Amino acid sequence: MTKRFLTGNQAFGLAALEAGVRVAAGYPGTPSSELIETIAQKHAEGSAKGVHVEWSTNEKAALELLSAASFAGARGVFTCKQVGLNVASDPLMSLNYVGTGGGLVLFVADDPGPISSQTEQDTRRFASFAKVPVLDPATPDQGHEMMRAAFDLSERYHTPVIVRPTTRICHASTFFEVPDSFEAREPEGFEKDDKWVIFPRRAKLGHAQINQRLGLIAKDYCEDKTLSAFNQRSLGGLAAASTAELEEQGVAAPFAELYATPRVGIVAGGISASYAQEALALLEQKAKDAGLCLPAYKFLQVGTPYPFPEELVADWAQGLGAVIVLEELDHVLEDEMLKLAGKFRLPYDVFGKLDGATRSRCENDTTDILQRLALFFDVHLRAGVSLVPWCDPEEGEFHVSFTEAVQKGAAKAEWLRFEEIDPTDKLADPKPELTSAGAEVLGKLDAEHRAQDLAKDQLYSLVVADLDPDCSAAQAEVLSPLLAVRPPILCAGCPHRGAFYAVKRAAGKRSNVRMCGDIGCYTLGNAQPLDAVDTCLCMGAGITQAQGFATVEPGCKAVAFVGDSTFFASGMTGVANAVYNQHDITICVLDNATTAMTGSQPHPGTGNTLMGPKTKPISIEAVLRALGVECVLRANPLYLDESIAVAKKAIDFEGPAAIIFQSPCTSLVKPDAPVELDRELCTGCKLCCSAIGCPALSWDYEQEIPRIDKSLCVGCGLCTDLCRSHALSVTGRVEHADEPRFARPLPYENGVYGIEPERRESTPAGAPKEGSCHD
Amino acid sequence: MINISIAGIGGQGSVLAARILAEAALAKGWQVRTCETTGMAQRGGDVTSHVRMGNLGEVVSSPLPAKASVDVLIALEPGEGARNLGLLRKGGLLITATTGQPPATADLKAKPYDAAAVIEELKNQGIELLIVDDVELCGELGSRKALNIIMLAVTLAAVNEPGLYTGNALSGELGIDEMRKAVQACVKPRFVDMNMQAIDIAQTFVAGLPR
Repeated sequence: MTKRFLTGNQAFGLAALEAGVRVAAGYPGTPSSELIETIAQKHAEGSAKGVHVEWSTNEKAALELLSAASFAGARGVFTCKQVGLNVASDPLMSLNYVGTGGGLVLFVADDPGPISSQTEQDTRRFASFAKVPVLDPATPDQGHEMMRAAFDLSERYHTPVIVRPTTRICHASTFFEVPDSFEAREPEGFEKDDKWVIFPRRAKLGHAQINQRLGLIAKDYCEDKTLSAFNQRSLGGLAAASTAELEEQGVAAPFAELYATPRVGIVAGGISASYAQEALALLEQKAKDAGLCLPAYKFLQVGTPYPFPEELVADWAQGLGAVIVLEELDHVLEDEMLKLAGKFRLPYDVFGKLDGATRSRCENDTTDILQRLALFFDVHLRAGVSLVPWCDPEEGEFHVSFTEAVQKGAAKAEWLRFEEIDPTDKLADPKPELTSAGAEVLGKLDAEHRAQDLAKDQLYSLVVADLDPDCSAAQAEVLSPLLAVRPPILCAGCPHRGAFYAVKRAAGKRSNVRMCGDIGCYTLGNAQPLDAVDTCLCMGAGITQAQGFATVEPGCKAVAFVGDSTFFASGMTGVANAVYNQHDITICVLDNATTAMTGSQPHPGTGNTLMGPKTKPISIEAVLRALGVECVLRANPLYLDESIAVAKKAIDFEGPAAIIFQSPCTSLVKPDAPVELDRELCTGCKLCCSAIGCPALSWDYEQEIPRIDKSLCVGCGLCTDLCRSHALSVTGRVEHADEPRFARPLPYENGVYGIEPERRESTPAGAPKEGSCHD
Repeated sequence: MINISIAGIGGQGSVLAARILAEAALAKGWQVRTCETTGMAQRGGDVTSHVRMGNLGEVVSSPLPAKASVDVLIALEPGEGARNLGLLRKGGLLITATTGQPPATADLKAKPYDAAAVIEELKNQGIELLIVDDVELCGELGSRKALNIIMLAVTLAAVNEPGLYTGNALSGELGIDEMRKAVQACVKPRFVDMNMQAIDIAQTFVAGLPR
């Protein structure tokens, strides 16, 4: 064993290997990609014996492959990002009915924010929809333990199991004990049985098996030593105080038990549990510094959200009057707490996303949770509920619920509520601000319950004072306008830039051109000044969306952009549809010989595999022709004139046409010498800076010439084609041909598909590039 | 608990600097967590790395620091330091390089980015501020590649140098010697000498600072 500094994803990959995984398969997607890369790296080093690891063509392919491996008794791990599970949902739904053999764990990474995703969907919700158990880690360390436990759970009940971390768990790092070598567990082999064949009758039985095992798993989540430990419970505030500390707070011995009995609870899941623990520690410290003590409270992290561990949580919730739920994405735990209150007739109120007490979208963070918890405690301190719980001292009556105890006119949702600054501003992060209704109620409670009040100051104002909002606002006002805006853009020398620009130029001033984008680096073609993406929906949708425009907007020129990896993942069915139904579209395959956005993973078009031996790359051109696309052209997007000519030809073609824009990603090739400027020739037209948005070129206002950032420029030469006065030049670039070199359709005779495209090497198998981008 | 954040542009090495601090913390037997926040991890985008160390034996739960909780903010680029100023606690220290990196998409109509103006404003923010002439220090080394190492070494020297910033949470907890050991564990052997030289240059710089 060696101590190593690892990201969550690396640790999860090693945990799968420790569990004896025989097959690892997935499709890249931030924030999930590094798990497969870690296993590939161990395989390449020779320290992971007997494992098969692959990037599959897409998520569906990966899960189907793994299901059969599991039927044969092998342990397998599947990886994808949240939207990837949508692609794999077909096999997952049925697989759960059929059941598994060897342990099968689905590692599905969610992306609150979203930081680099299309949606903020919640895989915990997906798990309950698919009736598949799910584990939700609060730290990388816990996720590492969950990965191992998930394989055992899967085999105990013959069910697939999902482990769902989020970005901040996947990409946070800490030290782990790592074994020096790993060995895959040998599978027993497949045994023929009717149970592996999905069929209505099988499904009927399968559903019964699912329902039965979910009941048992929920029980295991409550009682099993390993699994129940994922639902951490603790006490805080006066509940954790000693008799001496209570006395210090003015609580006389006879009342000690009363004061130390928690009436408020905090339920948290995932990274929010870590933020909450951090916030509670800060809040305890702030209260202590001010001579206060937080009211007695209970804390619960739910690490096993589905099937919900009802017994354990109901037991935990005994005696509580109010519960606040902290979680990201959907209100999954909140719903469960509401359900539980009804089912077990528990008299607590629930605060969370549904009533605006916590953020309804985007990421949580320690600061936000700190403020919300401070107010949550404040309200309870003011209401006296925490101090003289349930029992009205004058009337000696027990209150049924917290709301009743407060006995205020304002609805619950009104007073413990933060407003989003502007819910219609799609880019503003929701920030907490006490509503005026909330402030009013706090004030009223403050006046009426002052006598019973242990705290002499509001925790909320203590917290906010420390954050110094006035000062931050002043800072922001002065500094923000001075800061550089750094939006994500295509890298210097990125071949996609030339492809987008050429198609725009080819389309000219035609207003009826529809540019359908897709998922990958090239989504960044939407940025100014290229502004070349009209739509972007999901993997592979560009090709089929273009067909929608072509259908209902006669005469429009519908152009689809798709990356090489995306083409194989989910572009080919769209091409078949275009040919079959004869849609007049132009498909631009941006072939940069890698899956760039997620950190340069190989794909079927590269022929590189994670197992080592290079296979024959699948030719995109051959696929297009085989699918019946009659006009297939090729262009080098770094040569502008040729690219424009090719694009014109394809757009003018009646029926489905395709252009393969072929040039490797800048992360794969050594940069050439940067572009040189001849100042004598420069007319100061600014076109090089204003047309293509290359980060290596900026305008020098003093000298009225372009400034070349030689540390960024890779000498791609696109700007030299743009410069009408020939002031920009690069070495090592072939002269322009009179005839555009790639304007001709490639030869297709006697079953031979064109010229095999020249390829530069893609990333070697199993060696993720250091410092590569991971989006 | 010691919180350190390192703000910069993709490719400037904030992640390695965080890794070195983590290694140094491990050697001390502290719990440590690191995390990056990125504008989108493209080259040229902003990247802030966070290191959280339980130097008093505390449990470190969250990998990200709360606002107004960071003890030292190291800015490899002044504008990125300013962008993250909200992280810095009252009395915290901002150590910034002077060289500005213009944004990749300079809007031709907008006012060009002026890093010197940012530094001038930072002086008015009522914070502990140490400005490091990175052009001079990197020039001395003959490479800008070790800017991250120089800035980290300046930090660890400055918080331990009597008469400078010895009131920081980091003071007396981690120093240059620990950093040297951690660098050896984190970088490839062939880069060790260059990094050690970078640390020497940083130490000389701090020794020469006015008290």
